[in-house]
Amino acid sequence: MSWLSRLKTARGSAQPLSPQAERTLRAWHALPEAALDRPHFESRYVVVNTEATGLDLERDRLLAVGAVGVDGGLLHSPDAFYAPLEPAPAEALAGLLGLTGKNPLVVFNASFNRTLLERAFQTQLAFTPSFVWLDLYFLLPSLFPEKLARPARLGDWMAAFGIETFQRHHALGDAWAIAQLFLAVQARALSFAVGTPAALADHQHAFRRKLKV
Amino acid sequence: MSTDAANLLVGASTDFLRNFSPFNRMEAEALGFLAERAVLAFHARGSDILTPEMGVPRYFYIVQRGKVQARQTGAAVVTEYASLSLGPGECFPIGAISARRPSTNAYVAVEDSFCFQISADDFLHLMQISPVFHLFCTQYIASLLNQSRQQLQTTFAQRAADQQTMTTTLGKLIKKEPVFVAADTPTRAALERMNDLRLGCMVVVDEDRRPVGIVTQSDLLPRVILAGFELARPIGELMTANPHQLPATASAYDAALEMATHGVRHLLVVDPDGILKGVVSERDLFSLQRISLRQIRAGIENAANIEALQRASKDIRQLALNLIAQGIGAEQLTQFISALNDALTRRIIVLAREQHDLIGIDFGWFAFGSEGRHEQTLSTDQDNGIVFRTVEGVPVGEARQRLLAFARKVNEDLAACGFPLCRGNIMASNPDLCLTLEEWKSRFGDWIREPDPQALLNASIFFDFRVLYGNERFGDQLRSWLNRSVKGNTAFLRMMAANALKVLPPLGRIRDFVLEDDGTIDLKKSGARLFVDVARILALRIGVNSSSTVQRLREAGAKIGVSPEETAAIVDGFNFIQLLRLRSQHLETEHEAADDNRVTPESLNELDRRILKEAFRQARKLQLRLKLDYQL
Repeated sequence: MSWLSRLKTARGSAQPLSPQAERTLRAWHALPEAALDRPHFESRYVVVNTEATGLDLERDRLLAVGAVGVDGGLLHSPDAFYAPLEPAPAEALAGLLGLTGKNPLVVFNASFNRTLLERAFQTQLAFTPSFVWLDLYFLLPSLFPEKLARPARLGDWMAAFGIETFQRHHALGDAWAIAQLFLAVQARALSFAVGTPAALADHQHAFRRKLKV
Repeated sequence: MSTDAANLLVGASTDFLRNFSPFNRMEAEALGFLAERAVLAFHARGSDILTPEMGVPRYFYIVQRGKVQARQTGAAVVTEYASLSLGPGECFPIGAISARRPSTNAYVAVEDSFCFQISADDFLHLMQISPVFHLFCTQYIASLLNQSRQQLQTTFAQRAADQQTMTTTLGKLIKKEPVFVAADTPTRAALERMNDLRLGCMVVVDEDRRPVGIVTQSDLLPRVILAGFELARPIGELMTANPHQLPATASAYDAALEMATHGVRHLLVVDPDGILKGVVSERDLFSLQRISLRQIRAGIENAANIEALQRASKDIRQLALNLIAQGIGAEQLTQFISALNDALTRRIIVLAREQHDLIGIDFGWFAFGSEGRHEQTLSTDQDNGIVFRTVEGVPVGEARQRLLAFARKVNEDLAACGFPLCRGNIMASNPDLCLTLEEWKSRFGDWIREPDPQALLNASIFFDFRVLYGNERFGDQLRSWLNRSVKGNTAFLRMMAANALKVLPPLGRIRDFVLEDDGTIDLKKSGARLFVDVARILALRIGVNSSSTVQRLREAGAKIGVSPEETAAIVDGFNFIQLLRLRSQHLETEHEAADDNRVTPESLNELDRRILKEAFRQARKLQLRLKLDYQL
């Protein structure tokens, strides 16, 4: 229960966590680590995405989080989450963990999203949950070099695939688009014998080494 | 809070679906159900989404983005397209998933594609909760029905092509390579060859294969045998020079004319250079006798005896085959058959009347059962009766005796013309069925008052009466009396309904069809009759005057609030079963099968099986309606 006492100490005089959020967090901690050696069609990934006041990690703040589950290669609308940070940021982040579980996370541009999210987790929940982070910013050009050979912006990839979403620059709207891109990534990865979350992570590292970033 | 997110995404899917038919017309609740259940999947270019080998489809797909190609697989092309591209908003497979059987098409992503999918169970649920979606799927299946009919027509067109017409060119008529000899060939060798090949004639040609003469079998007696012709001499000395020739482009009609004009039995067919292409004999032309509706009618109306009518009866069968080939639907086809059979029956009656004294008797000849409904197929036995009244003081009993003698002759003649005698003795020569109008009313009234099983069976045959010959007013009077008597009698209608529901469509829970012990489906007993029985009850309830099932369904449907589309689907189902019956009867004519209403599902192609299943579903729907109406 150390995470809970740490959390309570850290939050100090802040509004206490709701019983529901507390339950969610307790359940999250109790989860076994995600199996990373299962094929895509038996794996659940969660696409997470953020809305921030801007793109400057030093100055800007997290405004909202959105997430969409990709389970067994399928995108199912009810398996989604969206919450603004205000007025209850700890509740929002606990809710996010409720949807993600310990499954591998898929983001577009981890350097921004992951940093922002981990900082928020640390501040609000007094710990940094550990995840396998998969970054489409790198996975897309490495798997679809015929479309765009270099890392590119989300809008460019959406255009390359003809993917649309109901609302751009909205945490969930973009997550929906990223999730569709991730469906394509899974299919292509499989044809390269990159068939599991672990293999995707390795593939991503290899590509980044090649790019030297 | 995650429910908000789900709503956002479901809303996004809903917005997407709303761009396309039929989803844009779908009820809000049903669309919500679809959007909520739909999951999105990606299909890389070149990957199979659904193939026949995958078995019964587990999902129904709606293309969200990309392009999916449906390709016919297997040997037989069952729809009009060999391949079809599906884009955003289009869905598949409709027929296969409705019928719960493997798809006939292979669906392959030809571009990187995204498809929404819902489970087969959700698909069926959606059909249930959404009339719009249900209609969309039934109409789709109806369009398959059309395609099946076209395919059927092609099959028959091929058969009909074998029976060519008098406009056929001689070039097409020639089936064999010509056999010929040179003029210096010894006669013995030429005749031996004729004999070996069983030829009616031998053509003699020059070195360029141009005909110079002909020797026919009929030349042999006068010119060879009687004349003591020396067989070692060249055939050129025996032949008839300058034989009659026609170009290959001339018609069979030209050939017949040429033969008639010159009194010859063989004509040589040559190409534009005068080179021998073949031989046409008189016998080749005989088989081209074309049968037309008008000719048959004229043949029937001018027939002086039963022999002539027997020929006409055969022609009717032949015509039915031609009509199917010309693409006529089951409804019109049965009407044609019915019209010609009516004409035939009327002629038989007229001929019999000449031999019988019916003075002082006013009568009508009733047709019952399928004949009464204008739904005769090609193997219907007789179901007939007589309604009469006497005039000028002729006693009823005496009139009946005279009518019965006359009816016996008609029944026998009908049997001679291919309408077998009725095994149940439902024939005008049966004294119980040769009645006055009052007697008919009293008989019908008994059945209505005491609807025991036999009465209900009788009602199902006799209530489909119509006057085929004679005084039609009898029919009108009996019909309006019957409609009045039954309309208010819910108890009787309820009994009829319960009786009609005893036979269920042969749809299986696990397998597609429930088969008889011999592995067949009886298209009459557990197919057509289901529609016929329900239509009869609806007609009696609503007071429809027509005895035709289709007409009854249309008129009753409009009154009890069945949508025209739904009625059309039901009628299509009925007609399809009738067409299958006619087709199997046609194909059976070579070997007079005893029970040609039976079909083995495996002998049908994939599309026909699917449609047959849908037709049975329509029957089930119709029965369900009856069940609800009478709370059975």
